[in-house]
Amino acid sequence: MAKTKEIQRRIKSVNNTKKITKAMEMVAAAKMRKSVEAVLKTRTYANLAWTTILNISGASDKGEDLHPLLKVRAEIKRVGVILLSSNRGLCGSFNSNIINKAVSAVKKHGNIDTEFILLGRKGLVVNSRYGYKVAAEFDKIDFVSEIKEVMPIARLAINDFLSGKYDKIFVAYTDFISATNQVPRVKQILPVDIDAEDEYLGVVGKDEKVGTTKEYIADKEAKYLRDDGYKYIFTYEPSSEAVLDQMIPRLIEVQLFQALLESNASEHSVRMASMHQATEAANDIVDELVLFYNKARQAAITSEIAEISAGANALKN
Amino acid sequence: MPDQKRIKFEIATPERVVLKEEIFQVTVPTVEGEITVLPKHSPLVSILKPGVLEVKKIDGEIEIISVSGGFVEVLLNKVIILADTAERAEEIDLERAEEAKRRAEESLKNIRSVDAAQFANIAAQIEKELARSRSVKRWRHLKGR
Repeated sequence: MAKTKEIQRRIKSVNNTKKITKAMEMVAAAKMRKSVEAVLKTRTYANLAWTTILNISGASDKGEDLHPLLKVRAEIKRVGVILLSSNRGLCGSFNSNIINKAVSAVKKHGNIDTEFILLGRKGLVVNSRYGYKVAAEFDKIDFVSEIKEVMPIARLAINDFLSGKYDKIFVAYTDFISATNQVPRVKQILPVDIDAEDEYLGVVGKDEKVGTTKEYIADKEAKYLRDDGYKYIFTYEPSSEAVLDQMIPRLIEVQLFQALLESNASEHSVRMASMHQATEAANDIVDELVLFYNKARQAAITSEIAEISAGANALKN
Repeated sequence: MPDQKRIKFEIATPERVVLKEEIFQVTVPTVEGEITVLPKHSPLVSILKPGVLEVKKIDGEIEIISVSGGFVEVLLNKVIILADTAERAEEIDLERAEEAKRRAEESLKNIRSVDAAQFANIAAQIEKELARSRSVKRWRHLKGR
């Protein structure tokens, strides 16, 4: 009897765990949906800002000398990496994937002095396990809805770049491609690379048309800047420098904001998937335990009957 | 009205697209002063200042939007506004906007030793709230309420 009691207790405990994982799965699914929606909404702004910057830099022959945030430095002595991880665990390999990616990207560049700027508590591993210096740690909010929340980081990045503390700044985040596919990525955000060939920002979903590409800009020019064979040139008020001065920092904020939203969407979808697996595993364990329980119960009954009949036999003789 | 007299208008903030439709004209508060954009305006990029944006829609309605800074990009027959924040007047609660403005002014008074950045933040806040309440008043005036 003692054995069946024990098994019953285990079944109960596994069932309770299953309820928790199931609930976490559903919460993560809801959060993921919201995060994905939010990423899609920011894309318009980011695309429009990018095209304007490219228009300005294209119209001027000064190229990257136009603004200090566009200037690529000849010698790279120090690099900053903004690492977006999660605050809590129970999300499968989400954190280890992005941390491994960031560390291997840093190692690939040889022995350059590297500092990390962390967003999300789990990122601290870069210090405890890999020994990198952590320059700053920011609190991450699980559901981000306003760009205000990335402004302090953006400001820190811009100031440290301009003061010469870092010569390059990267952001390491997890790109959300679909609910089942997330890719860790390391992207350069400073200096702003106006010559980058591929799309400038992460793309959610499989629609390739949404990135800001050279074709998009050429298309825009053909549609809105040409009339009867004339090409119109932008007027800038008060000046193109003043516009760039305001727009580049905004663009960096938006890029960080997007990276954060992508990362959140990925985190929630990884958590959803791993909680789903946990629920399935709990189901398997329960099935197995129920089998054991029934066997133990039958064995107990059989042995009891055997004992009774043995006793009855003894009395008869 | 013939088609070419319309402007494609789009106003986006980092968080969302506030309005996207075809319009007749739009008045925008820029740092150099208020400008009104009509169809076939020559291409222009300018910086916005906090204020009231007036959009004349093709159904004759006038839409009032409060913005707190950002950029305006004028293309041939297309106007794009990249605003830091933007709200349609009908979405703003006047009492709360005025309350927020009062609070911001109060905090400016209370803090004796503010550094330049903090001062700029609060001043920007006041301007933003002022623009919000102004846009509501303008909207009510237009609607005759």
